[in-house]
Amino acid sequence: MIARMISSVLALTLGLGAANADELIIGSQIPLTGSAARAGMGMNEGIQVAAKVFNETNGKHTVKVITIDDESQPAKAVAAIERLNAQGALAFTGGYGSNIIGPASDAAERLGKVYMTSGGVATELSQRGLKTFFRISNATGYAKALAGLSDTLDLQSFSLIYSTRESTAEVAKLLEEIWTAEGKKVTLHPFDPSIADFKPVLHKIKLQDRPEAIAMVGYENDYVGIIRAAKVLKPDAKAIMGTWSLATPKMWQDFPDLMNNVYGTAPLPYPAQFNTPEEQTFAEAYKEMHNKEPDYLGIFGYVQGLLLFNAVAEAYDAGTLNSGGVQDALRKTEHDTLIGKVIFDESGDNTNFAHRMAQHQDGAVAIVWPKESATAEARFPAVPW
Amino acid sequence: MMKYLSLIIILAGAYLAVPLQFGGNDYVIGIVVSALTIAGIAVAWAMLGNLGGMISFGHSAFFGVGAYGSALLAMNAGLPVFPSILAGGVIAGVVSILTMPTLRLRGPYFALAMLAFAEIFRILAIEMRWLTNGSGGLLSIPRLPTVFGFDFGSRLGGYFVVLTLVLLTVFVYWLIRNRPEGLALRAMHDSEDATLVVGVNATRLKAAVLVVSAFLTGIMGAFNAHYINFLEPDYAFNGSWTTLAIVAAIFGGYKTLWGPVAGALIVYLVDQFVFKAIMPSGHQLILGGLLAAIVIFSPSGLLPWLASRFRKEAGDAAHP
Repeated sequence: MIARMISSVLALTLGLGAANADELIIGSQIPLTGSAARAGMGMNEGIQVAAKVFNETNGKHTVKVITIDDESQPAKAVAAIERLNAQGALAFTGGYGSNIIGPASDAAERLGKVYMTSGGVATELSQRGLKTFFRISNATGYAKALAGLSDTLDLQSFSLIYSTRESTAEVAKLLEEIWTAEGKKVTLHPFDPSIADFKPVLHKIKLQDRPEAIAMVGYENDYVGIIRAAKVLKPDAKAIMGTWSLATPKMWQDFPDLMNNVYGTAPLPYPAQFNTPEEQTFAEAYKEMHNKEPDYLGIFGYVQGLLLFNAVAEAYDAGTLNSGGVQDALRKTEHDTLIGKVIFDESGDNTNFAHRMAQHQDGAVAIVWPKESATAEARFPAVPW
Repeated sequence: MMKYLSLIIILAGAYLAVPLQFGGNDYVIGIVVSALTIAGIAVAWAMLGNLGGMISFGHSAFFGVGAYGSALLAMNAGLPVFPSILAGGVIAGVVSILTMPTLRLRGPYFALAMLAFAEIFRILAIEMRWLTNGSGGLLSIPRLPTVFGFDFGSRLGGYFVVLTLVLLTVFVYWLIRNRPEGLALRAMHDSEDATLVVGVNATRLKAAVLVVSAFLTGIMGAFNAHYINFLEPDYAFNGSWTTLAIVAAIFGGYKTLWGPVAGALIVYLVDQFVFKAIMPSGHQLILGGLLAAIVIFSPSGLLPWLASRFRKEAGDAAHP
């Protein structure tokens, strides 16, 4: 009796159920609270827009996205995947941070279902031999973008400040290799992820390194700490640049006194300029749902979501959902997306991933590299202090 | 007799009813495994707190050391997973010897010193990149193996392993508690000076129980590493491994044998299955309120409160 009661309560709370004939259930495991919440919420907005666009344009199928907050914790992410599976999810999307994506995608592999993300760039993620792991971004794309901009600006010496986490350390290592091969001077400053006071590092950079540019590979709180310390110590650099989560309208909105002239990776400018029909469809749906301009996290969330929904629908139609049809649909062709062509290799990596560099310019995020995509001239030399 | 019958019913329920009812649902079993992991740490923590009166804020150190020890032995030395888990516990026990200078301290000073040790081990795990891969952590840690055709790497297999580990932890606690040394340790909890007067070697006993508690916590950490197949310093040495265990032990009644287990199961399962369903984000608020209520209305914990209610009702029935 007690066991029956418990199972009934659990069934109610878990909302167990299977997919309807034409409604495809997709699980989204994403950090909505905890340290990665800001990025997770941005990605989640994009995934929700992808679901809306798919449901309005597919004509045959609809998707239902069930979202579970992984609280930025690896164990909760694994539990989220298992819960989504119990709720009938046919595939999974979401995830931010290689440390969380690693165990979550392992869990998805055990269940034999595809896991698609844009939030983890550590190379090891795609070297585990998983058949169901896919991602649209990777470390190489970020490193090449920073290196490309620094070539254009003809920068010759760098202080490279990076978090010792897997993905950040990897991008930093790639950058060091590229710059060293080009005969440029690079001084490394790895830091523990728990560090909040960067003044000692900036002091060393100002007095010892004296670089032309400061490069940062970390996360939002790290960038804020580094730039704050730089504003106090005012090192004599010509430029300061970083990777993800930096050239975003949200960062300007939250820290306008720190962001002006800072470079970061971004697929689109802000205010966004949408030219193709697909871009315009996305932008209109995004504004309608979230009442704001999309940022790059939303764009990545949209792209990863839409790619997955289309692949699941294709496998559903072919009757191959349970025999690897979703991963086959993702691998077999090139996909035209908002971030360019996406081509997945055997390991699930997007071999075509390339990023652009943008600069905060008085509240706008202007694309400044590569030249053919630029929406404004780079302000150089220019730093926030 | 009634006591043993209850125990047999609980064991039968744990080994048979739960797998039969929920074995097909990885999510439910996964959450139960997480709750049992907390339960194992909570018992080991309560052992140190109840026997010897040492309130530790740093058990995450032993959890993390056990986890890293086992994972590295399995990945780099090729040791099979089950012996690695045992070795992880042994390593945590050995490492606890480094913390023994803290035995000179009492009360909040001991608690804070242990917290400092947990931070030291976390930083060591970050800095010893050649061994631990630093903040990058370890991915694809070997899973629990398949033995005689049964896959212990499955969620259900993990459940049986962690359940057995928790029961063994409780058994060790029971053994120590019922020995003369256990009596001396419990007396030390109330007045260490009084036990010194009657000739108890307090330092030796406290050191021994610290090693045992660290070993048992290390075993739970080692299991977790092979269960979740991933480690990084912030995860392995996270303070929540200690705070959740303390919350569970105090909620259930840390001076009782089964209180920490009951506390962990109730706190974790109710939070994940009920509160999180009601409030997907910020559900810990409800849990916090519930814990505050328990601490205010029954400082000795849930099980002692239930036992006193049961005795009162039995007394009322016998003497209407």
